[in-house]
Amino acid sequence: MSRAQTPVTGINTVARKIVGRRDSVLARKNIRESLVSVAGLIGRPVKDLDGRDIGKLVDVVVRHGEETYPPVSGLIVKVGNRKSFINGARISSLNKDEIRLSSTKINLEDFKRREGESLLDADVIDHQIVDVDGLRVVRSSDLYLAPFDREIRVVGVDISFVSFLRRIFPGSIRRTPTPEHVVDWATVASLADGSGVVRTSGSRAVLSQLRPADLADLIEDLAGREQGALIELLDPELAADALEEMEEEELQGLIRGLTSERSADLLARMEPDESAEVLRDLDEEHRESILGEMDSALAGQLRKLVSFDETLAGGIMTTHILIVRENDTVASALKLLVSNRERDISDGVVVVDSRGKLVDHIQVIELVAAKSTALLSTLIGPPYPTAIQLDTALDEVVEEFSNNRGSSVIVVDEKNKPVGRILADDLVDALASLSERRGFSPGSGSLS
Amino acid sequence: MSEVKKTATKRPGTPAISPRKIRLAALLSVMGPGVIAGLSDDDPAGITTYSVLGAKYGYQMLWVLVASTIALILFQDLGARIGVVTRQGLIGLVRQKYGARSGVLSAVALILANIGTMTAEFAGIAAAGQLFGYSRYVTVPVAALLVSFLVLRGSFTRVEKVFFLLSAVFLSYVIAGFLSHPDWGQAFHGMVVPSMPFTRDAVFIATATLGTTLAPWGLAFIQSYAVDKRLTRDDLKLLRVDVWTGSMLTGIIGFFVIITCAATLNKQHISIQDASDAAAALKPLAGTLAKDLFAIGLIGAALLAASILPLSTAYSVSDLTGRPAALDDGPREAPLFYGTFAAITVLSAVLILIPGAPLITILVLTQILNAVLLLPLLLYMFGISRDKRLMGEYASSKTMRIIYGVIIAVVFVCVACMLWFTIH
Repeated sequence: MSRAQTPVTGINTVARKIVGRRDSVLARKNIRESLVSVAGLIGRPVKDLDGRDIGKLVDVVVRHGEETYPPVSGLIVKVGNRKSFINGARISSLNKDEIRLSSTKINLEDFKRREGESLLDADVIDHQIVDVDGLRVVRSSDLYLAPFDREIRVVGVDISFVSFLRRIFPGSIRRTPTPEHVVDWATVASLADGSGVVRTSGSRAVLSQLRPADLADLIEDLAGREQGALIELLDPELAADALEEMEEEELQGLIRGLTSERSADLLARMEPDESAEVLRDLDEEHRESILGEMDSALAGQLRKLVSFDETLAGGIMTTHILIVRENDTVASALKLLVSNRERDISDGVVVVDSRGKLVDHIQVIELVAAKSTALLSTLIGPPYPTAIQLDTALDEVVEEFSNNRGSSVIVVDEKNKPVGRILADDLVDALASLSERRGFSPGSGSLS
Repeated sequence: MSEVKKTATKRPGTPAISPRKIRLAALLSVMGPGVIAGLSDDDPAGITTYSVLGAKYGYQMLWVLVASTIALILFQDLGARIGVVTRQGLIGLVRQKYGARSGVLSAVALILANIGTMTAEFAGIAAAGQLFGYSRYVTVPVAALLVSFLVLRGSFTRVEKVFFLLSAVFLSYVIAGFLSHPDWGQAFHGMVVPSMPFTRDAVFIATATLGTTLAPWGLAFIQSYAVDKRLTRDDLKLLRVDVWTGSMLTGIIGFFVIITCAATLNKQHISIQDASDAAAALKPLAGTLAKDLFAIGLIGAALLAASILPLSTAYSVSDLTGRPAALDDGPREAPLFYGTFAAITVLSAVLILIPGAPLITILVLTQILNAVLLLPLLLYMFGISRDKRLMGEYASSKTMRIIYGVIIAVVFVCVACMLWFTIH
């Protein structure tokens, strides 16, 4: 869990650049001076045009959309014993002590949660948010509203403990902003969900700049519901990358909380061996419901991987290999490599004979050096790759690696047909998880 | 956590171990929060309360322990469920659902109560140490260092293993119980037939029994610990086994402490002030072995609780502020978490070592604060348990809400009686 801290500064710079480009409104003096604390506003009187009390403010409703700073779309006001909704367009002024409406005739409607809206007090304040700039999960102490771009908008979120403590005091201490640690709304991902997921384009853009490993840490730090919300917010490719970086147990828990459809979508984008590892520990019913949502070829491949124990070659290998025939040309092999460049298997192709049996593994460099019309059979020769059976035990795999000093071994089935590869990093993963299971883990506490 | 889930096999596709063994292994990997949180409720303050209950009222009020154990089972079960489903600690949820004031108020009350309780744990260590002839100026600092070292240096799994080892010490009470040759018939009668003299002392000891069994910090702890252990909804069934086991064990240990004292001290009309008195008084009645077992149990109980209490406080404080709280994080990653742990430990150790510190006052106030604090915490848990937005399909059913309501009402009556007797 204690991943290296150094890249953080790099990410922060990136995040700041994005924010900078978007021109943080908090930097503007007139906005800083007109901040109104949402926590302080709750319970304050709402008055009509003539200054008569209509009721007390219960909550502020904002609408999330494509805009970075969500505008106030309405107020929930307690009138008598009833909670009513007042449209945001009716607000004429809003300061730390009271809210004035622009008319004397008010339509009181019952409040219903609508898609894409959230309640600032009920859903956001004191809830977990992702501070992308500081790369951490924090609780929001307060939110600040300010008039900006013709509407009243949420511009900042306060994450300081002082601001949180201010709220327990009575009177105007509670209502006076303490914006020493205000984070621009553009740099946080709020995971508040009223009726569904809040899709703020700002959050998404900022999140997409994070490294998968950092994202994985953030996901692990979130509570269950917020975890799901963050995953929904992410681009599926990025989410899958982040998932690969997560602790195994965490990932299990996360997948259990997602719908089968969403799980299938994410697992399909992950490396098959990593997906298989997750699927292996799910109960059969759940596993099948996820596999059922996948493309049948991939599902079949994963089913096979799942059937292998994690301490055997078949359980730790990756099935991402490029198989070519020995009478194919160099050009076709290179084409295949290029079309699969997204996957981390671009270092070579596995050559088989006409019956599909393993012949050789040819490195990219050999292909590039050869004539493009040449047949692959002309490139076959030592050094030959190390091949092991599917049911080779982990310690034997380690032995093969140390004997051959190679960066990978090829896994073949009982008929000597290649089915996968074990790369050095797969081996490291397997050994790490094994030693953890045996309780040999030094524990990050003693590392730091 | 899942160290024994699978072992190597030679054949692919065939399970290495039988399904029953897998189930047991899975249970062991989930085991922990319930047993540890439960048994740490049998801390020196608890043992003292049980000893006094047994010495003063014999077998008559055993039913109070039975009732407290049932309450413990139900609310520990609820706490574990809330932790697993929401993945947040109790104080964090209170802040989120009930606002800043409720959050800060319950956190402050919890911190104060925990410092007091921690002082009581050290007092237990000091008293038990003195039974073996060691000065408190040796035993208390050693114990403080021991628990800090354990929590600071260990990873989650290792810390948990030590907790389990400490729990084994509680067996000594069972043996001491048998050595004292109790009257099993009377004990059974006392468990199922509720009766008590309506006196100030009896009400106090009944409330104290309830309060020490169902301790606020224990409730906060099980929830945070389940979060830190990163248990998931799939683990809930097994976690429930763990919680029930732990809570029952808590009751069983309490039962043996009470019957030991009932069979010896009550029979001879010997009155005692605390658990170490009980141990000392046992020597002529049930032999040196019984006395030693009682004292060893006291030390183990104190060490376990002294590890859990600062941990529980640290979880709660981190939770309130929204800062990271995990045993697997290092002090540099979670300064507030470890800072709180250290502060609580040091403060309590100092309190117990200052000559002339008003210890009795601190301990009595702590007991009252714990009892009073229990009420809002139970109400918050009740509120969270019925919140569909937080708990989803795990929200409590109508039947369970009625049962929780009854328990909370009983706690309310007990606390009200206790406060009334305190004032009058």
